[in-house]
Amino acid sequence: MRPSTLARLAVAGGRTDVLRMAFTAVSSALAAVVLLSAAAVVAVPELGDPDEGSNAWNQQYGSQLITDPGLRPGVVATLLLLAVPVLFLAGQSIRFGSPARDRRLAAMRLAGATPGQAVLVAAGETAAAALLGSVLGTGAFLVLRLLLDVRSEFGLLLLPTDVLPSPLAFALVLLLVPLLAGLIGAFLLRRVIITPLGVVRRTRSKPPRLWPGVLIIIGVFAPFVIRPLGRLVVRAGNRIGADLSVAAGFALVLLAVVGVIVGTGWLSYTAGRLLHRFGRRPATLLAGRQLMADPWNGSRTLSALLAALVVGAGVLGYRAYMITQFAATDEANRLGGGNAGFGGTTDFYLNSAALAGLAVVAGLIVAAAGIMVALGEGIVSRRRTYAALVAAGVPRRVLGESIAWQTLAPVVPAILAALTVGLSLLRGTGTEVTAGGGGSCAGTEAQCADPNSPYWQMDPVVTMQVPVPFGDLLALGGAAFVLMTLVVGVGLFFLRRSTDLDELRTV
Amino acid sequence: MNALLTGTGLHRSYGPTPALRGIDIEIGEGEIVAVTGPSGCGKSTLLHCLAGILKVDAGEVRFRDQDIGLWSESARSRLRRTEFGVLFQFGQLVPELTAAENVALPLLLAGSGRREARKSATLWLGRFGVGDLADQLPGRMSGGEQQRCAVARALVTEPKVLFADEPTGALDVLTGEQVLTEIVHVAREQGTSVVLVTHEPKIAAYADREIALRDGVLDPTGLGLGIGS
Repeated sequence: MRPSTLARLAVAGGRTDVLRMAFTAVSSALAAVVLLSAAAVVAVPELGDPDEGSNAWNQQYGSQLITDPGLRPGVVATLLLLAVPVLFLAGQSIRFGSPARDRRLAAMRLAGATPGQAVLVAAGETAAAALLGSVLGTGAFLVLRLLLDVRSEFGLLLLPTDVLPSPLAFALVLLLVPLLAGLIGAFLLRRVIITPLGVVRRTRSKPPRLWPGVLIIIGVFAPFVIRPLGRLVVRAGNRIGADLSVAAGFALVLLAVVGVIVGTGWLSYTAGRLLHRFGRRPATLLAGRQLMADPWNGSRTLSALLAALVVGAGVLGYRAYMITQFAATDEANRLGGGNAGFGGTTDFYLNSAALAGLAVVAGLIVAAAGIMVALGEGIVSRRRTYAALVAAGVPRRVLGESIAWQTLAPVVPAILAALTVGLSLLRGTGTEVTAGGGGSCAGTEAQCADPNSPYWQMDPVVTMQVPVPFGDLLALGGAAFVLMTLVVGVGLFFLRRSTDLDELRTV
Repeated sequence: MNALLTGTGLHRSYGPTPALRGIDIEIGEGEIVAVTGPSGCGKSTLLHCLAGILKVDAGEVRFRDQDIGLWSESARSRLRRTEFGVLFQFGQLVPELTAAENVALPLLLAGSGRREARKSATLWLGRFGVGDLADQLPGRMSGGEQQRCAVARALVTEPKVLFADEPTGALDVLTGEQVLTEIVHVAREQGTSVVLVTHEPKIAAYADREIALRDGVLDPTGLGLGIGS
């Protein structure tokens, strides 16, 4: 197929196709902005080796994350990691199958195109939209660079807006974003069969395995067992055993993280089974059966959402830990009149936590958008059945309810499990902080040799319990739930279009 | 015969293209009427208008002497759920539900309990010879078996009118005739009126009366597929 033919076929289509292309372009633009931001951080000039301390710092920036050459690679890595799900989202939009696109691809097959050529057209459509997006994203980056080029009252830049990414970086972003989006799109079509008579989506028929569920259950309950067990061992006088039990607990929680992330299929299937078993309404019957029939639909994007939540809960736990540590240090300083540490560096830790929190929020939004694509695809692929049900008198409200159940039933327990496991990750390592406890001796070396001599001045030890940040966790879980409710809202929009009577008139 | 359902001066267009251009039709209680005509003549549109799935642009559809065109979408949905049964050529069973659950769905929507609905569904599946497939998913059934389930679902609420749009179009001739014989048998037994859209003379021959359409109006030649009077 000639490239011009491919391009012409790729941009042909109706209103839903335009919507899909816009979605791809926006995701790609976002990916381009994130990637160029990473390139801008890379472009900050190196003034020396990170080991040289503040001599190597680029003092013109307000944030230590940009100033410190030792921290900049972490910022770049975070931005690159953030670009991955955004790129995935751009590629995933290929699955926004509209009936018109499906018919077009089928018609191409009928006209003699091979399955590979049909996939190429679909991937080409994604790549074309992604190219448009990466151009727009590059423009948006340049505009944002000008808009955000502001200095604080001390004349410090908030962001590295004084440096430009290299021309190579610009060229790579412009080329790589569409290429990767197209490749991801083609990969995601591997379960879609484009035949001359229509487009069929294969689903896995085997129910998910139990082991991720076991891991999740272990992860949720591990913190309740491990710490009391550790204290028991300590009371028995076995310090090594206590350390081992904490290490074992930490390992179990890590396994549970794996369980939460790979166990979304199991979660969906189990939620479906429970809905089918205990639901009494037609909507729950429909949702339960649909979850059981295809628990894998959108499971990877749900995994991404849960991964973001696990990290988010970990960040909140870390933040609570650091705040308690600062409070304990302040208290120790107050009581002892000395300096037990930290001093003016607290902002760095809290700003890092805030930055990680921002990355989590961005990850949540991207993952929710991915789930929206999967949900939209599921509805569109069932459009004929939905249209027939509506024609037979099934209220759209019932179908809408079933979609809400189908989306939220696995998500709610998954959110709770992810938050618990994420928090356990940190609380497994400690639930209390200690500050102070140091001492100074005013006597001679000989007088200070005895730790019990009156010349020794001991600082008081302050121990504080790290509180569980319930409020923050609730806000994080609530935000994820609200996002998923918005996803359901968009799903209902697809439902209205998919129950159009025209679906009954077309083969 | 008393008219159960009437359509008077029915007009319906899709954009600038007229599909129905002033049709008058009357369906009596327990009557089986075949609507025939070439492809694109407006048969399915007429069926959808009579069933309240589509609203007419002009004219009125009356069921038991009430103009259903004045009813809200949800009221018309309720009408289709309780008084009408709707049967299409394909794609009407929910692929994730078992045969019994598919048939039980209208009863559940009407407020029946799960056990009660399942019992009725199994009974109706048995009437159409697919009782042993109650726990089977549609994907594991033949086209004929699926269509029998769909018929059972359309009739499980014992509707007053069954609207069937090319109900055997996706089946082989023999299976199609078997399914239609069963539909007609049950309809006669229950006194259900049937509006049967088809372009097959053999299928139309099952009806008491034929209404032929051409270009959105009643065929002036009145010949149709040549059955009934």
